[in-house]
Amino acid sequence: MEPESNAPAHELVDHLFRSRAGQMVAYLTRLLGPEHLDTAEEVVQEALLKALQTWPYSGIPENPAGWLFRVARNAAFDVLKHEKLVCQKSVELGILVESAGAPGLPGDPEFEEQLRDDELRMLLMCCHPAISRDARLALSLKTVGGFSTREIARAFLSEEAVILQRLLRAKRQIRNDGIGLELPRGEALAQRLDSVLEAIYLMFNEGYATHSGAELTRQELCGEALRLAQLLADSSVSTPACHALVALLAFQAARLPARVDGRGELVLLEDQDRDLWNRELLAVGFLHMSLCAEGVEVSPFHLQAAIAALHASAESDTETDWVKMLDLYDQLMEISPSPVVALNRAVVVAKVKGASEGLEELRLLADERSLQNYYLLPAVEASLLLQIGDKDGAARVFREALRRPCSEPEKRLLIQRWAQCELIAPCFY
Amino acid sequence: MANYMLLLHSNPDAYVKLSPEEAQKALQKFLAWRERLRSQKILVGSARLKDDVGKVVRGAGKPRVTDGPYTESKEVLGGYFTIEASDYDAAVALCGDCPHLEYGGTIEVREVAPVPGV
Repeated sequence: MEPESNAPAHELVDHLFRSRAGQMVAYLTRLLGPEHLDTAEEVVQEALLKALQTWPYSGIPENPAGWLFRVARNAAFDVLKHEKLVCQKSVELGILVESAGAPGLPGDPEFEEQLRDDELRMLLMCCHPAISRDARLALSLKTVGGFSTREIARAFLSEEAVILQRLLRAKRQIRNDGIGLELPRGEALAQRLDSVLEAIYLMFNEGYATHSGAELTRQELCGEALRLAQLLADSSVSTPACHALVALLAFQAARLPARVDGRGELVLLEDQDRDLWNRELLAVGFLHMSLCAEGVEVSPFHLQAAIAALHASAESDTETDWVKMLDLYDQLMEISPSPVVALNRAVVVAKVKGASEGLEELRLLADERSLQNYYLLPAVEASLLLQIGDKDGAARVFREALRRPCSEPEKRLLIQRWAQCELIAPCFY
Repeated sequence: MANYMLLLHSNPDAYVKLSPEEAQKALQKFLAWRERLRSQKILVGSARLKDDVGKVVRGAGKPRVTDGPYTESKEVLGGYFTIEASDYDAAVALCGDCPHLEYGGTIEVREVAPVPGV
């Protein structure tokens, strides 16, 4: 490990506490057993607070993560002693506490490998099918992601008490059903991976959606989802779909810096300054895009990643290979049809065959119940009406879009587009 | 120039609800403050006092020992910094941006009396 003496003494690696908190909880849960997940969380919190109350006076220790692990491990050992849980686990933990050095410390490659395995098992446990969908997400964020209940509530625009209840229920289920950290095999593993991929995908979308929560938390949610997808893709249980999800999330995350302009206004994909797209993340996307091509499986994530890759490799909106894009959407509609995919496909149809054809596609969606409150359906329709020169129609449909729930930046964008067809300055509204 | 002790009193519960990310942010503010003292070469020493309540010893001959002294107050002395400053005003000014205050703590500033004849 790099000696840290050269680093400024008052700086810590970004998110050190959050990322190590997740690892410490996973690590201690393995040692203590999943039924003691609460204890693991408590001693980890204790260790972090102890650092907060010690380091201002002593400065940062040489191996900050090692310090945290040692303190958390000792505290866990004390709890076991206190509760007289003398069993194989406490013996095991006791040996580790006694040895108090390598290879049981962060920085040691073998130990870091062990930690990745612990995190992976924890993630798989959090996404056990017996746990409800909502709780899987919250539990993963809490235990593996190192987010607090309050932060999760903020990101989901929910009450802290609601999230807390969800977590309590999930933990009770882990205890009562004896849900463990062992990796499932065969068909059960395939199902579990589907559940994990779905949770990560939802986690990312929650962060990506413009309607939810505080800006900072949202970015961290996207970052955490990408990290977990990579953890899964680099693990022994990885499948091509895992790589496809990494690719998809990396491409999407790469566009984040271009999605909002200097004044905080939303910028549509076609108008984005593509120089602002994050090159590193694009590279991650293309790398995993090639990795996901192994095997014969074509998952919905493969197609979504391929769609994102096509955008990522186009110099501009007009230079995008829309014909190929339409083919990908056709395939996606075949294996994973949904009204939202159909809506996106209609946009591509308009690009390839013209606005009138796109409007035809939209008409097929007019009665779709799940889109009745979705502002993008009329927003897309209005844009296409504008393209065929129907300004009155476009104005009317933009007004309809504005009646549906959307975020403030989305609303401002709609008003601006609407004003264009009414030929009035947007500042009057 | 004289030495001043900054005694940091706080309510230990003040930090309990911080998330890992928030705890790190708080810590980073502390470390940056400490670093400013260090880089100005006015930090003489610092130490944290252990969390337990400690002991109070009373009475000569056969001293009586009790837990304390802050058992009834929520505030505990968490640690101290010794710094060099020209006068009380300067010492107090250095406390002004200490993150300890942001988290509801108080700082007691005491001048260390020089040893006579030195």
